[in-house]
Amino acid sequence: MATVQVSEAEKVYILHGVRDDLRVDGRGCEDYRHMEIETDMVSNTDGSAKVTLGHTDVLVGVKAEMGKPRPMVPDEGYLEFFVDCSANATPEFEGRGGDELGMELSNTLYKVFNNRYSVDLKSLCISPGDHCWVLYVDVLLLQCDGNLFDAISVAIKAALFNTKIPKVHISEDEEGGKEIELSDDPYDCMRLNVENVPCIVTLCKVGHRHVVDATLQEKACSVASLIISVTHKGTVTCVRKVGGGSLDPESIFEMTETGKRVGKALHAPLMELLQEEESLGKKRQKVGFLG
Amino acid sequence: MLKSKTFVKKTRSGGIMKIVREHYLRDDIWCGSEVCTECKQEETVLQKDACIESNLCSFPHYLLPDTNIVLSQIDILEDPLIKNVIILQTVLQEVRHRSAPIYKRLKDILHDKEKHFYTFTNEHHRETYIEREQGESANDRNDRAIRISTKWYSDHLNNTPTTDKRLKVVLLTNDRGNKEKAEESGLLTYRCEEYVKSLIANPELVDRLALTNDDKNEITSSKVLFPEHLPLSRIQSGIKSGTFQQGTFRASRDNYLEATVFVHGEGDDSTEVLIQGLQNLNRAVHQDLVAVEILPLNQWVAPSSVVLQDEGPKEDDVTEEEEAELKSGPSGAASRKPTGRVVGIIKRNWRPFCGMLFLSQIKEATRHLFTPADRRIPRIRIETRQAATLAGQRIMVAVDGWPKHSRYPNGHFVRSLGSAGDKETETEVLLLEHDVPHQDFSQAVLSFLPKMPWNITEEDMAVREDLRNLTVCSVDPPGCTDIDDALHCRDLPNGNQEVGVHIADVSHFIRPGNAMDLEAANRGTTVYLTGRRIDMVPELLSSNLCSLRSSVERLAFSCIWEINDKAEIVKTRFTKSVINSKASLTYAEAQMRIDDANMNDDTTKSLRGLNRLAKILKKRRIEKGDLMFTLYRWVQIQITLLFPRETNSMVEEFMLLANISVAQKIYDEFSECALLRKHPAPPPSNYDILNKAAKSKDMVIHTDSAKALADSLDAAQVDGFPYFNTLLRILATRCMMQAVYFCSGMDSDFHHYGLASPIYTHFTSPIRRYSDIIVHRLLAVAIGADSTYPDLMDKHKQSALCNNLNYRHKMAQYAQRASVAYHTQLFFKSRGILNEEGFILFVRKNAIIVLIPKFGLEGTVFFENKDKPSPKLIFNEEAPSLTVEGHSFNMFDKVKVTISLDASNVQHQKIRMSLVEPVISGVSVAPSEPEPEVKRAKLDR
Repeated sequence: MATVQVSEAEKVYILHGVRDDLRVDGRGCEDYRHMEIETDMVSNTDGSAKVTLGHTDVLVGVKAEMGKPRPMVPDEGYLEFFVDCSANATPEFEGRGGDELGMELSNTLYKVFNNRYSVDLKSLCISPGDHCWVLYVDVLLLQCDGNLFDAISVAIKAALFNTKIPKVHISEDEEGGKEIELSDDPYDCMRLNVENVPCIVTLCKVGHRHVVDATLQEKACSVASLIISVTHKGTVTCVRKVGGGSLDPESIFEMTETGKRVGKALHAPLMELLQEEESLGKKRQKVGFLG
Repeated sequence: MLKSKTFVKKTRSGGIMKIVREHYLRDDIWCGSEVCTECKQEETVLQKDACIESNLCSFPHYLLPDTNIVLSQIDILEDPLIKNVIILQTVLQEVRHRSAPIYKRLKDILHDKEKHFYTFTNEHHRETYIEREQGESANDRNDRAIRISTKWYSDHLNNTPTTDKRLKVVLLTNDRGNKEKAEESGLLTYRCEEYVKSLIANPELVDRLALTNDDKNEITSSKVLFPEHLPLSRIQSGIKSGTFQQGTFRASRDNYLEATVFVHGEGDDSTEVLIQGLQNLNRAVHQDLVAVEILPLNQWVAPSSVVLQDEGPKEDDVTEEEEAELKSGPSGAASRKPTGRVVGIIKRNWRPFCGMLFLSQIKEATRHLFTPADRRIPRIRIETRQAATLAGQRIMVAVDGWPKHSRYPNGHFVRSLGSAGDKETETEVLLLEHDVPHQDFSQAVLSFLPKMPWNITEEDMAVREDLRNLTVCSVDPPGCTDIDDALHCRDLPNGNQEVGVHIADVSHFIRPGNAMDLEAANRGTTVYLTGRRIDMVPELLSSNLCSLRSSVERLAFSCIWEINDKAEIVKTRFTKSVINSKASLTYAEAQMRIDDANMNDDTTKSLRGLNRLAKILKKRRIEKGDLMFTLYRWVQIQITLLFPRETNSMVEEFMLLANISVAQKIYDEFSECALLRKHPAPPPSNYDILNKAAKSKDMVIHTDSAKALADSLDAAQVDGFPYFNTLLRILATRCMMQAVYFCSGMDSDFHHYGLASPIYTHFTSPIRRYSDIIVHRLLAVAIGADSTYPDLMDKHKQSALCNNLNYRHKMAQYAQRASVAYHTQLFFKSRGILNEEGFILFVRKNAIIVLIPKFGLEGTVFFENKDKPSPKLIFNEEAPSLTVEGHSFNMFDKVKVTISLDASNVQHQKIRMSLVEPVISGVSVAPSEPEPEVKRAKLDR
């Protein structure tokens, strides 16, 4: 993971700032950096979004492909995650350098998103036991400047919101033979309900307090962080502790409460933004990668 | 400007893929009109004064048809009257997608400079490109694109300052919704019928209109006669699950209520499904690709042996008796066959059919039935006002559709070929019915001809071997203008002889992939009919530049051997060369030179050398068991009453040698993609009839190998019956399989049974066979004389090419036979009725087939007659023999028959034979009096 070296004096400076709710870049402890979202970036995916958070830059593409449902849950589709840590993001990822981080990220994403409470997996089913949609969520890290989880989760939510799955229907003949028919109209497609899709809020314990959306410097001062996925209602669906240091139960409780609050506040403007962008339709000026 | 086109597609494996294509829009696409000053076009296609005289449009106008008009009314568009038409890219693409043949015809029109058809690439024009909108079907989108383009055109033409303001664009569409919308936006729109009927000068064009759905309803009653065809999706799933079978529909020639469907199974096994009755046939037409459902076992029937002809316009009622009669065929369980019914049509294989009009009884009627020349095609209902003129003419009719409440398919008149019985017309019919491409070569093809006067250039000389000094000569039948082979022979200092076969270098002129090459590949072969030749390559090449005529320098591809005294090949080499033939001889002339001891010039010496070697080669080949010579040549010579000359077989011999040498060379070089020719050994069961025939004269024919067969045929002689041996050879010929072209990478059996050669190809006649051109190219690549190209090395493409060549060769053969048959009929028409002696060649259940040696004519004597009670017939399959009223006919029996021309059916005139001797009461007829001499003399003149 991309790290920076921080001197003792810098550390003290950061710690003191956090204690007084005034961070190095002027934010309060529960404030996010400036965030930019654009959807429908990549035309050959079924849904895509790019999120810029500070200097962290993440691109997510969703591809819907037909597959066989898992035997235990024959009436549900599923999601697959793959995180590509390109060497563009940081030289550390060169060669196989990013694989470990990629695995870790995709495992976490799998836990957070691939369940029936987050995404309506039943709607991905085409014919129980035979065919279902598999959503391949590909995450590409373009630039790392801390707080990957939050950026990725927002991008995934936006990409899922943007995903258009072609409508198919199963025609059945007398003998029970099934034939999948594809609608002729490219506009005739299914949208996912992303209402319950959680966002991840990462809280970093810095000194005695914790901060949201830590920069790399802040991260360097932190011993442990808590990854919390929160739905729009404020329900915590997943909590995971990362980092070498320990957290006492009290601060875990505090951090969870903060996470719930911050997460809830994150969802409402995000959805608003996505809907606004959608309503612009084709008139929207695309920014793309060079904007 | 860049746009991307996105669409979703189902892949073959069942997955769903989103495909994104880049789509570039430009603003340098010109309108193609002569009047336009705005567009910076170099050439204009559409004329300034585009006038077709019409009631509706009295002003100059351009036509802009939509896709359905092009698809259904291509015959109208092909008419020379229709000019100045804008074909949109949208329309062109859709036509290509929907029908390949119509696309090809449209492309031909577009290439024709006289027609002034212009393709406007509206899909790439910045102002006319539209994207599909939400909730819009693909068709609606295309219709909108057509309207937008029409609008653009009319605005564009009006905007040009210098324009004569009256020039307009007329949108032709039969789609009601489209028309309304177009009118709303102020476009000039007509239905095709409306427009065509308004054409003042040409009322006959109306006949060529295809019937559209609206019109069909008027024609027929609403009574539903046929079951509905299943939709394609149901058919496909049915075929997948095995409920339906897919196969080619083949109507029976003799019984219009019966057909078979050839179901192609896995690999080689294919089954035949019998279909009986109008309902079960369900509007399938000969050669359609259909889906059939096999009926339960208890409904299986045996093919009926009754001959049934659809007698005429019995309006829409299926005659019950005929159906009943049909069912009463032999019902023995053994003869029952899998029976089914047609549930749907996968692909129609309609082509324009030749035939004649069957006039309606009602005088004023405009709807008539058309009887195709091919009996397997049902009658077609057409609408025409020129019935009176068309009666007695051979005409062509295209099928438009077969609604479920109509007894006959609906069609429209395409063109008249001329009056029936006319030699020209009949030849035309014959070519059309055998699918022989015989149109004049298009401008595109001719544009690839070398410019005249043509000379051999320095560059040509540089890469070719100069063999002009050799005494090369050609030997061909008299009157041959396409000479593709020449020979030479000279002594070498070491005592051996050098023999060269020089073949016209056609591949030098026909370069791969150009229009001329594609045309030749499609034609496949030159077709020789009695009195007419349909060239594969334009005449300039076939009769001039490629023809190895004497005393001119010609390019050749030479195969040169060094041969020792025992006619063994010491060395073989191939080279591109330049030759100068010293003499073009006929077989007779060559023979005379060889025989004439006084002649001792170089050419004659060369011929003698060749002749000597050829004799040794031939002897050796016959020893090896060559059948071709013993069978085909012999039979041919006997029948055509030609005198066999040594020179015939001399040329033959070296051509065979060249073919084999080349075959070996190209196979060594390209084991995967060599084009070879094989002749499979016939399965033993094919020889049954030959064995039975021999046994009837107490002889045994060994058929285990070609050699054994050749030997035993030579030995089979009956004293006092010299013709027996010939008859036997004719029979043996019938047992053979068809020789075919194939690609060496797709097959493992290369053996040529007839020539007893392990490998064979065609190299020596590139002027008249396309296969030889490919072989030339392969050989040229092999010796480094020419460069290769991708298709040449693609075995799948080659295999497809072979299939076409085999098909064309087969059809050419059939056409040749039909042509000979037609001329035989003409011959007998002029000779009147004749009495001749003949031999029984085959014995059938109800007939004998008789060969008349005098004319080499084969005919059938039927013992059953429609209007007479049939005589007592006993057929013995073992012998085989047929006993008629106590007299038994065996194979090879001598009989006497009268020959006459049966002209009762104008479309199907045929030679009729009836028995004269032996006299059987009630069966044989009295020998007819030879017609008076006077009359004959008149006819002879």
